[in-house]
Amino acid sequence: MSAEILNEISENLQRGKAKVVKELVTKAVEEGIAPDVILNEGLLSGMDIIGEKFKTNEVYVPEVLIAARAMNMGVGVLKPLLAEAGVKATGKVCIGTVQGDLHDIGKNLVKLMFEGKGLEVVDLGTDVSPDTFVNTAKEQNCQIIACSALLTTTMGVMEEVVKKAEEAGIRDKVKIMVGGAPVDDAFCKKIGADAYTPDAASAADKAVEFCRELAGTVA
Amino acid sequence: MTNRERAMNLLHYKPVDRMPAVHFGYWGELLSEWAAQGKIPAELAQGNWDGSEKERELDKLIGWDFNWYHCSGSSNGLAPGFETKVLEVLPDGTRRILNSWGIVEKHKPGVISIPSEDDYTLKDREAFETLYLPKMQFFPERVNVEYYRHFNETRPQDVPIGLHLGSVLGDIRNMTSVVGMSYLIYDEDEDLFADLVDAYAEMQFQCAKTILETGAKFDFAHYWEDICFKNGPLVSPEIFHELCAKHYKKRNDLCHEYGLDIISLDCDGVTEKLLPTWFETGVNTMFPIEVGVWGDQFEPARKKFGPGMRGVGGMDKTALRRDKAAVDAEIERMKRLASLGGFIPCPDHRLMPGTKFELVQYYAEEIKKIRI
Repeated sequence: MSAEILNEISENLQRGKAKVVKELVTKAVEEGIAPDVILNEGLLSGMDIIGEKFKTNEVYVPEVLIAARAMNMGVGVLKPLLAEAGVKATGKVCIGTVQGDLHDIGKNLVKLMFEGKGLEVVDLGTDVSPDTFVNTAKEQNCQIIACSALLTTTMGVMEEVVKKAEEAGIRDKVKIMVGGAPVDDAFCKKIGADAYTPDAASAADKAVEFCRELAGTVA
Repeated sequence: MTNRERAMNLLHYKPVDRMPAVHFGYWGELLSEWAAQGKIPAELAQGNWDGSEKERELDKLIGWDFNWYHCSGSSNGLAPGFETKVLEVLPDGTRRILNSWGIVEKHKPGVISIPSEDDYTLKDREAFETLYLPKMQFFPERVNVEYYRHFNETRPQDVPIGLHLGSVLGDIRNMTSVVGMSYLIYDEDEDLFADLVDAYAEMQFQCAKTILETGAKFDFAHYWEDICFKNGPLVSPEIFHELCAKHYKKRNDLCHEYGLDIISLDCDGVTEKLLPTWFETGVNTMFPIEVGVWGDQFEPARKKFGPGMRGVGGMDKTALRRDKAAVDAEIERMKRLASLGGFIPCPDHRLMPGTKFELVQYYAEEIKKIRI
């Protein structure tokens, strides 16, 4: 029964059926399934499948957005229960579009994918200064700083973020991820950032890998 | 040969004396930058839009022959548009503004960037039917018929001019935002999104038809879409085809009826997955063939679709911010693409701040030396 309802949650999430997902999550809670099990084996497992399909162009932005909306409806039900049970997030990320740039579609998509992997996300919004990225990571113990840029004219700010993290003495405690239309792996290496990924779903995979690495849980 | 003849001959695989130097305009900030550097007269930095007198004057100063996006059209958007108003000023000075499409945008003081989309009005059928549908109706004043009756005599004769056909999905995205469009595609009211696309497309078709019926002659027809990004289309190719193919076909068939056989379409990002729909329905010229970090898109398209697929664009504009070696490398690449035929080199988008004036002049001069 438990596997069946979790499967239903996952499948409805993939179809973006937000109301149904909310109802099923509520039902699962009522049936006594542990909230972390509902989260991991129902909601996040559904988002995992969507993420994989997004990487291979089996689904596109709209399908990701409706699935994420459904996930958030389900998470809304679980949040107080997860906090009560002391369930911790996989890791913590601060994300933003760099200074001088107000584009946020790509940033928001990556944010949703991060959340779909169980990461806690601090969304700094757009036009974010290098100091804000670094201070937030320091003050809120983020393991990852994720920077987005759409413009060739603003991508240079990412290099400043790397420098500021070094100056603040947190470079060995935080991984810096970069992405956006004009960014590629060569640029990432050139500025000394830790990772560039070609799409939002791969970014989430990489972020989880980094969080595990920093927590010392990867052999 | 005039530049009009050069362009049309190239796209019809006919001989030309030389390659024309074609561009796609500028960011306003670049023109201000060039004016501040003393490279161009300050008056050319203001009121300089695609095909304007000022742009044509600047073309001469730089050495360009023409801007491909020199098109003429109609008032084929929402009419009247939403009244633009400031809804709220946030503590950091950011203004939340309702724009003419009904989108709430966030404008931050001192930031030169397309504003971010914060909310949207078109959320359900009621909003569609009461707020949007009345603004999507065709009425005669949408087309300046008198202007088009004299168009053939008054238009510049030496450069190609396109009939702007509007867009099938790009404007819809403008009025819903990417998030809103995604939600509407999957709305519980399954017909809502299709009804929206159909209503808007019909109005744009009537606009194009009214212009063509005046007898105005164009060299090509042109769409604006911008419905792709770095990873491909913003919507699934199947949904795109289902919703949009019939509208492209109807407008393209109309163009063919009036002898317009070159139909170009402006879409940034990686367009590969939408090309089959466009090509199948009659769009035959890719523009501006953005290079980005993903590389050339023209040659693969040519291999897939054959000589029926033409291109205008494909030159990595960022080379014009770097140095002569980078520009030379692009010119070499353009020579190779031009040798395929049916291709006119053009920077792959509007030239942006930091672009070096002298490099643009150099590029324009060198590109004219290409012989097919």
